[in-house]
Amino acid sequence: MSMKQILQQLAHKQSGYVELRWHKRTSNSFLATKGRVDVANHSLTEGVGVRALVDGAWGFAATADVSEAAIKRAIDQARANASLLAKARGSHSIELRKGRLSTKDFTGEGFRELQSMSIADKLGKIIELEHQLAKSSSRMHTARARYTEYLEEKAIVTSDGASCSFQIAQPEVSLSAIVEKDGQRATSNKGAGVSGGWSCLFRHPTLDHMVDEIAKTSVDLLDAKYPEGGRKKVILAPAVVGLLCHEAIGHTVEADFVKAGSVAAGKIGQDVASSLVTMADSGQENISGYAVGNLPFDDEGIETENTVIIRDGKLVSYLHNRESAAEFGVNPTGNARAWLFSDEPLIRMRNTYIVPGTSKLSDMISSMDDGYLIEGAGSGQADSNGEFMFGCGYVWEIKNGKKTNLLREATLSGIAFDVLKTVDAVSSEFQWDLGTGHCGKGQPAKVDAGGPYIRCEINIGGRQS
Amino acid sequence: MSETKDNIKNLSHKLDAAARDTLAYAQKKSADRAKVSASCSIEKRLVVENKQFTLANTLETQKVGIGIHKDQKKGSASLNNYDANGLRQSVDDALALAQFSVPDEYLTMPDAKEAPKAKTLDFMWNDRTSTASLGDLQEFTQAMLARLTKDKRVALDRLEVSTSCMWHGLYNSLGVAQTETQTSLSWSFMGMAVDGDAVSGFDYDGRSVYAWDGALDIALKQCDEFAEKIVKNLHPVKAPTYKGPVLLTPRAVEEILLGTMLYHMSGASVMDGKSQWGDKINTQVVSNLIHLSDDPHSAKFSGATAFDGDGLPTSSRILINNGKLMTHLHDCYTAKRCKTKSTATSGGPFALMMAPGRDDLKTMMNARAEMLVVDRFSGNIDPIKGDFSGVAKSSRYFMNGADKGAVSETMIAGNLFESLSQVLAVSSVTEDVSGSMQMPWVLIDHVSVTGN
Repeated sequence: MSMKQILQQLAHKQSGYVELRWHKRTSNSFLATKGRVDVANHSLTEGVGVRALVDGAWGFAATADVSEAAIKRAIDQARANASLLAKARGSHSIELRKGRLSTKDFTGEGFRELQSMSIADKLGKIIELEHQLAKSSSRMHTARARYTEYLEEKAIVTSDGASCSFQIAQPEVSLSAIVEKDGQRATSNKGAGVSGGWSCLFRHPTLDHMVDEIAKTSVDLLDAKYPEGGRKKVILAPAVVGLLCHEAIGHTVEADFVKAGSVAAGKIGQDVASSLVTMADSGQENISGYAVGNLPFDDEGIETENTVIIRDGKLVSYLHNRESAAEFGVNPTGNARAWLFSDEPLIRMRNTYIVPGTSKLSDMISSMDDGYLIEGAGSGQADSNGEFMFGCGYVWEIKNGKKTNLLREATLSGIAFDVLKTVDAVSSEFQWDLGTGHCGKGQPAKVDAGGPYIRCEINIGGRQS
Repeated sequence: MSETKDNIKNLSHKLDAAARDTLAYAQKKSADRAKVSASCSIEKRLVVENKQFTLANTLETQKVGIGIHKDQKKGSASLNNYDANGLRQSVDDALALAQFSVPDEYLTMPDAKEAPKAKTLDFMWNDRTSTASLGDLQEFTQAMLARLTKDKRVALDRLEVSTSCMWHGLYNSLGVAQTETQTSLSWSFMGMAVDGDAVSGFDYDGRSVYAWDGALDIALKQCDEFAEKIVKNLHPVKAPTYKGPVLLTPRAVEEILLGTMLYHMSGASVMDGKSQWGDKINTQVVSNLIHLSDDPHSAKFSGATAFDGDGLPTSSRILINNGKLMTHLHDCYTAKRCKTKSTATSGGPFALMMAPGRDDLKTMMNARAEMLVVDRFSGNIDPIKGDFSGVAKSSRYFMNGADKGAVSETMIAGNLFESLSQVLAVSSVTEDVSGSMQMPWVLIDHVSVTGN
């Protein structure tokens, strides 16, 4: 009997709402640097998480023992936990919106390929990439190649009708370099992640010529100056647009943050961006086929969709789970996600992006007198009031319509909606570019983000003399 | 004995046996060296979102990690149960990875002589914490919730309170066997202040302690301070633009200064030639006002431990003495590569303390007519070059020692090596940071402040 069938049998015996989620994650991770293999790790995590809704309150329990008896004990524990909490909640009762409950069984592209591929081939490729990067420049101080793959298998059954399962693969690879000259050092890195197999990963456009590009950029940065600080007209590259979408806008429209009073609260229907901006969060991206956050359904068993957040500059939707959807009187958007079987689902993003426009990048540059092209997204954070901060890897100076000098890394900041209101051009070129690493919100989550090139005004952190 | 303590004891016996069986299997499969790290925990957790209890959670977890050396090549594997067949498969997986890895003559593990049985840190287990029920946690949480939301302008996003009882064992095929039990009571909260259309910046705080008794008083004081702080962060003022000194709160000292200092002390950075302090032992590396130590046996800090990730018994040590670097932080591997001895800091340091200075906090705030006091930092720090640039969060603008209000859209940038070498003052008071370290307020110079 499959895990889904075991969960179905158990769920049907329950009164009230019960959500059973079996999750098995197999992962391999490698890290090669300086001719060594610092990490060569295989990991397996498996278990069942149970959420029960009793008298309007949630209870959660989880078990690593996937026998029927252990899952039944976890159900009883979750119900007991919920009963305890129901007394504390008083009259405020949780309700769930039904939405499109999935009954699909889905195996993603590349799952079988990655599952059957030999460890020797995978690890060998990462060792080779590190070796190539190390040899790519006489200035190279440290080359580093990192690879992680997740083989995710889930079955989700709810007592009100969801009964679905998936198998998906999420590999990612990244390279980084530190170069040195006369005691000065510079760094550069590149990486990509996909929902797909090995061959899909290495077809990702970000990885084209990545060894040569990282080596060249990091060496060129050795002699580069810093950009000038202040409010500037800039073109943001897809990776930086992705960061802006995810950190500065995406988190503020997660319904749990909205309920807490984020800057997006009460703004549905209002103009929050230039009319050139349409922004969405999608569980089923169909723009370029390389996004890592694709999911057929979320961890409440709701089928995912392309959720438009901002349409032509107007805020039109938040991101919901079943509970927040009921509170806001809308349909759930399939954004409930849990990292491990032992984690409860939270409202999380999937693939967040700005929809491509009609401008050409070359025209956007040639029509600028003075400004910057911002490339290479670093880490980023944003606040509930929409204030954000991103690092970027490097900056191109634009003078009199031409891309001129390469400049060192910079920090960008601003108020998200204010920045989006200054957008005056959106390119037709598009790329997913945040498929490595994780979003953190109490639990990690694999997400992606990207977009076209956009031109806007932004604060660049600089030095005062 | 409490039910939880019984359960942890039973689980630890099973994991201890599983770990020893796994080592035996690894040796049978011709591993040259093997290490098993096993742990189990029983956790109870309550979650409040938007001022309502939203989740009660109970969890029992196990984890076993296996590290293998074979022909001076390494591989590792882990799983979240102690099923005998699963553990054997994990050994096979780790061996397979090692087979395709790269030989490294420096791979090593300590033996029982190098890693004798570590002493037990009795303060790490508290019976009252281990017996706390979900009902007890609910009362604790309710008290915190009431205090956090006394001021209606506080928009509490999330409050979590949990207890955990944990056992951890570390074994290797050279005879090392260390075990440790621990209880913890932890809380964290995050939120902002909302007053009409005005929204403050987001902030958070939290702490972890071993003992139940006295914890509520600590938590409530922290709730009061948090609520007062975020309400004061409403209606921000414009910050000045200048280059000069900024005052870092203890939390900002941890966020801005500590990471770069630890990076250059780290044995891994020294080993790879990334540290600027690789050859600076007994040399002045920062201002002589800075004194930093690590005390893994201190009951004050939640990171206390009797042994490190290699199984070596830990001990307290001075890292920076009046600005002079006293040691790098090595595990067995980096120590062997650097031809020195491990400092038993694999996975560490564990409980850092920057010593108080001699300066009065009020005087420090008057150091410049216009002064930014930075409480949090959201930005990028390049530990290699020491360059930092980002947004000063939950930060305030002082003029002639008077608090002019919170600031927004204020960026700070500079170089940490420059700032650390010319520290202007260190406060005579220190504060606990998250229950895991203690830091003073530090006045650093040469920082570019860009107001809005």
